[in-house]
Amino acid sequence: MLSRVVFVSGMRSRGPYMLGTGLILYMLSKEIYVINHETIAALTIGAIAVYGIKKFGPDVAAFADKLNEEKVAQFQEVKDHAMSSLVQAIENEKKEQWRVDGRSMLFDAKRNNVAMMLETNYRERLHMVTNEVKRRLDYQIALQNLHRRMELEHMVNWVEKSVISSISPQQEKESIAKCITDLKALAKTTQAKATA
Amino acid sequence: MMVNSFSQFESPVFLTIPLIQLALILPWAFYPSPSPRWLSNRTLTLQNWFIGRFAKQLLASSTPKVHLWATLLVSLMLYIISLNLLGMLPYTFTPTTQLSMNMGLAVPLWLATVLVGFRNQPTLSLAHLLPEGTPTLLVPVLIIIETISLLIRRFALGVRLTANLTAGHLLIQLIATATLAFMSIMPANATLTSILLLLLTLLEIAVAMIQAYVFVLLLSLYLQENS
Repeated sequence: MLSRVVFVSGMRSRGPYMLGTGLILYMLSKEIYVINHETIAALTIGAIAVYGIKKFGPDVAAFADKLNEEKVAQFQEVKDHAMSSLVQAIENEKKEQWRVDGRSMLFDAKRNNVAMMLETNYRERLHMVTNEVKRRLDYQIALQNLHRRMELEHMVNWVEKSVISSISPQQEKESIAKCITDLKALAKTTQAKATA
Repeated sequence: MMVNSFSQFESPVFLTIPLIQLALILPWAFYPSPSPRWLSNRTLTLQNWFIGRFAKQLLASSTPKVHLWATLLVSLMLYIISLNLLGMLPYTFTPTTQLSMNMGLAVPLWLATVLVGFRNQPTLSLAHLLPEGTPTLLVPVLIIIETISLLIRRFALGVRLTANLTAGHLLIQLIATATLAFMSIMPANATLTSILLLLLTLLEIAVAMIQAYVFVLLLSLYLQENS
């Protein structure tokens, strides 16, 4: 209760200051604390300490905070990197799933391709077979034609030969004289037509 | 109570209880212990950053064999720097002003670097006693000089730290006494001497940190030389 009276009085608590001042003055006046050279040294050191802390304190605190923040930032970066790589992995997985869905269409297309290739191949072979067969048949036809022509020629030659050999010389003279008289008569009629 | 100027360096005793152990353990109370949290508070972050930076800088250009000494060197550096800086506060006792303590730190560590060198590569360690490119006439003299310098290193390490800190504390005490004496007689002089005291205290803080760093740096250099 005494402490409450001493320390909490007025708008601002002046109690501790009063206590401190009182103690110091008491110790000085009763020479419990003697002022000697150490007092001066203490004042000097105290002044340097207060000045140093007031001037460099905030900078040192900011530096310590910066060290901690750098540490946190480093680990945060690692965490962010891990998270982004995991998100990337999820997207890749989704893409793979979509690819798998389209796999049946891929197989159909491939199947069609293969069927088309087989069909093409079959048709080519068929075409080749047809050509070969036609070639062979053409050859046979040509061969038959040749046979027939040769027979015809041979027959014509034989007929000519026999006809020529059957014509006797008397018949030949008579036919030639007849031809000459026919030609003369023809010439006369032509001449007469020309002068008329 | 100041009997003479050096009474501030007496090993503290309170009601016949020696307090030197307390003074030696005190820095341990000021370092935050590592926490199992991944993100720690500002003090611990700064401590970790400082230790990492210091260790990297100290052992960057050394072989992996030297890296085995990293814990020892870094903790030594932290210990000495905290002892020195705590000694800047008034009415405190600085253990590193005691020659016994500094020799207790310097001699075993220096001896360890030498023995490690002689055990692993005796030829190379002995070869360090003769710098390259010395004229033939100077070789015997130089070997003796190098041996003496090798043996002096432990004293140099210990005494350097002791002397720097003792001198600094002594100067602060003297100038503070002068300021106090001038305050009642000639306040203007007191102002001047207090400005001097301010600058000197700044210097002392710097020296406290630098001496710790130099101690550990030299040890690491001796180690690199010998490993």
